[in-house]
Amino acid sequence: MRRFFCMHLQPLCIIGEAIMVCLSQKCLPAPLSFRKLVAGSETEGRSVRQYLLYLKAGEDSVQTHVTPCFAVDQLYWQEREGTLLYIVGKTTSLALAFAMREWIIGYLRERPRKHRMMPEELVAEIRREAARFVKEAGAEYGREAGERRPLDKDWFVWEQGEQNEAEGGGQPALFPGNSACANLASMRRALAGRALLWEELVTLSRLYGWPAGDLLPAVQMLVLSGQAQLRPGIRLAVRKGFLRHRLELVCERCGSSGRQAIQLSVCHTCGQGCAYCTVCLGMGRSKCCTPYLLVADSSGEDEKQLSSSRAVRLEWKGKYSAEQAQAAEKARRFVADKWARTPAFLIWAVCGAGKTELLFPAVVEALEQGGRVLIATPRKDVVMELAPRLKRAFPEERVIAVHGSSREKWEDARITIATTHQVMRFCRRFFLVVVDEVDAFPYHNDPVLYRAVERAVKPQGKRLYLSATPPRDLQRRLVYGQAGAGRRFSFQFGGLKLSSATHVLLPGRYHGRNLPVPRVCTVSGLYKRLNRQRPVPPLLAMVRQSLAADRQVFLFVPKIEQVQQLLAYMRAFFPEYAAMMEGVHAADDKREEKVLAFRQKTVRLMVTTTILERGVTIPGSDVAVVGAEAPVFDEASLVQIAGRVGRSADDPEGTVLFVQAYRAEAAKRAVRQIVRMNRLAEKLRRSAGRT
Amino acid sequence: MKENRCVRCGAHFRTASVQRVGIVRDWAAFLAQAKGYPLMYRLLDSLPLCAGCLEMMPVIGEAVCRGCGRDSRLAGSFMAEAGLCRDCQTAKPSALRGNRSLLRYDEWGRELLALYKYRGDERLAELFSLLLVIALHRSYPSLRFDCLTPVPLHVKRLRERGFNQMELIAERVGRACKLPVHQLLERTRDTKKLSQQPGRLARRQSIHGAFAARRADVFFSSGAASAGAASVAHPSEKSRAILLLDDVYTTGSTLRECADVLERSQSVKLHIYSLTIFR
Repeated sequence: MRRFFCMHLQPLCIIGEAIMVCLSQKCLPAPLSFRKLVAGSETEGRSVRQYLLYLKAGEDSVQTHVTPCFAVDQLYWQEREGTLLYIVGKTTSLALAFAMREWIIGYLRERPRKHRMMPEELVAEIRREAARFVKEAGAEYGREAGERRPLDKDWFVWEQGEQNEAEGGGQPALFPGNSACANLASMRRALAGRALLWEELVTLSRLYGWPAGDLLPAVQMLVLSGQAQLRPGIRLAVRKGFLRHRLELVCERCGSSGRQAIQLSVCHTCGQGCAYCTVCLGMGRSKCCTPYLLVADSSGEDEKQLSSSRAVRLEWKGKYSAEQAQAAEKARRFVADKWARTPAFLIWAVCGAGKTELLFPAVVEALEQGGRVLIATPRKDVVMELAPRLKRAFPEERVIAVHGSSREKWEDARITIATTHQVMRFCRRFFLVVVDEVDAFPYHNDPVLYRAVERAVKPQGKRLYLSATPPRDLQRRLVYGQAGAGRRFSFQFGGLKLSSATHVLLPGRYHGRNLPVPRVCTVSGLYKRLNRQRPVPPLLAMVRQSLAADRQVFLFVPKIEQVQQLLAYMRAFFPEYAAMMEGVHAADDKREEKVLAFRQKTVRLMVTTTILERGVTIPGSDVAVVGAEAPVFDEASLVQIAGRVGRSADDPEGTVLFVQAYRAEAAKRAVRQIVRMNRLAEKLRRSAGRT
Repeated sequence: MKENRCVRCGAHFRTASVQRVGIVRDWAAFLAQAKGYPLMYRLLDSLPLCAGCLEMMPVIGEAVCRGCGRDSRLAGSFMAEAGLCRDCQTAKPSALRGNRSLLRYDEWGRELLALYKYRGDERLAELFSLLLVIALHRSYPSLRFDCLTPVPLHVKRLRERGFNQMELIAERVGRACKLPVHQLLERTRDTKKLSQQPGRLARRQSIHGAFAARRADVFFSSGAASAGAASVAHPSEKSRAILLLDDVYTTGSTLRECADVLERSQSVKLHIYSLTIFR
């Protein structure tokens, strides 16, 4: 690597575009400008990242900072305040560095008088205490890690700062080479609104062609100037208890905590005790030594002024029913309302009410205000289906589809359609976040989703939830919760309001017909009958009728292994249709082909697990759930399954049958909910007819 | 009754369910040697897999290639008289005396292994180590090994990944079988992922010289570390049995290279075998 020296033969440090400065005391007040000559060195990946904890002693306060790149910090403070920096120590574990920072802040807060101490004395004391803290944390970690052994002697390695490293001025020895951050501006633009783990950051930087060595100083520059936040993937803290201390580990990305979610392990990257999160493992490993960078998108404000007058062309020729139009207008008004009390709104629309189209006015409103829009939906197939539809509706806007294997992942667009998991990668980026099928995120009522959505939306932005079966707590919050301003004007039926300031309910389908009400029958010894191929009369009658009427049949089973079993059973009872029956489950490699065959009607009967419970619309089909008492079928999923039937306007009728081995609550509740929605829809139709 | 979660499909299951017990029993009877049934049953029962995944486990049959442990039903041209598959017949002689594996490498395990190796789900180490213990009891019931050695990972790869996948497994296997685990080898050259290299020859060439013995003769010449157990098994101090552990045996070039390096480094006679989860 080439290095440059100033006239006093001190090594130079390169910062920003085409600026090189000497940081030694002799040169200081006159920074020298040069062209950028040195490309960033390829240090990334080979060396272990070290994090330095230092104190900044100002006139009346002491601040604590963590940095992966001390040279940048020195430079930064030099330029601004010229204060003294005292190194407390360094470690390879980012979580430990942050835990110590928290601890030092607490330590100083409890002892206000310490601020008045001479910085040297204070630093010496903190260094002493810090060593003790590390030892304590290590012991705690060892106790909780059980039989695992650390790589070294101790779980946490902590290098204490040297006695006389205190001056903030040029210590050439501390410079990790002349790292450049010429790409700072473009980097900030690319990163704005994203929340990324270090590995993702490296991928992104490769994509943009930034030299690997530039990344760390640039990131630190962003952090220091307050435009970004650097955090460890897993936050570590030692909580002191009365009887014993406790290690508190929280995933910064998904917010999970607890021993189930966070696994303790030994890390070969940082060589220390290092925990990782198993909840968001599918998105890359978030662990104690991985930096997690959050860059809020602050460009929105001026952008808004620039494009406040711009009109957004919506090319969509469909027509709303009266109810749909009302709901769409409500959603639009919610987005437009600058003084809304809560930033969240729920569109509760039964299956087949035409939810996607309802969004268009709200999306237009958000775009006109100059913000970006994110539509998150749980399944990749839905993302791929939705993207072209929105592209057609908004021909002038850039629409990208973001999912695990998408190529457009890192691009910038006005409208982003993403799988729900991807929401975790955004930070304060969108003005409007629409979450489709809130209840379907991996499992019900997952707090991870709400946390991610809250982070992805801008501080003054809006969140719009769509669901046919909203989870309980969302109902409580947005439907039954605070009455809001709209109370006087809203309809009220049996305690369930049709609309409020925070929600709108669409109980009827767009074609104006009722939802098919499921028939529930309890067959004792159901599985035995299926096993021994003895008849289950209601099921057989229903399948026979449907097949004879030239309709298609969906059969849902709770477990994968029952797919083949039921398929064999059906083939035995309906040999004439045996060739037109198929079974599909999540791990099936021919899944897509089979579903396609079912859509094309070459397959007439499909046995499946819950994977097809949402999103698949096949006109002229009937549905039966075999084993509706199984815990995988809860109220929401049974309502969804029943909602597969009669969705198209040409064929609004259909049969839904729930066969259960014993009486279970879920089926009963699902029927109750469907009946209630039908009743609401009828009343609404009648009152609309009167006026 | 304990509620467990299957690591493969994520479903909850009960270990005591009739269906699962039946499947475990069948597998145990199939895998156990005459005396080992209770042990095998216990091991199979403790696998964190649900009945469905357990049933679909692609266990390699009884008839295997004497050399590489390939299922004879799969080997295209199986030579009955020699008991070797074509690859083993044509391969040049190596220090590796034989390989055995438990499962065929197919859809059942591919994703699971990727989840472990590339995603870093360390919880799966438990499953894989149990599978290896089962394989050890099944395939080498009469051999007493002096030590287990996992195939090493290059330092750079290790740092990238953050954990040593085979070492984690080997540690657990060692604990379960009461055998010492020693890292006798180290990787001196970082090779590309073998799965990304087409062709047998390319694999063999790229792996050549990628390993080195780590502690030449330290453990063996003195014999101090495991003198007790070893001397019972081998009355002559002159020979030792080593078991190499790896996740997948594809062409065997990695394991053969490891065995060759090991043999060259030690002064005593070595009997080197290998055991992998997938074949």
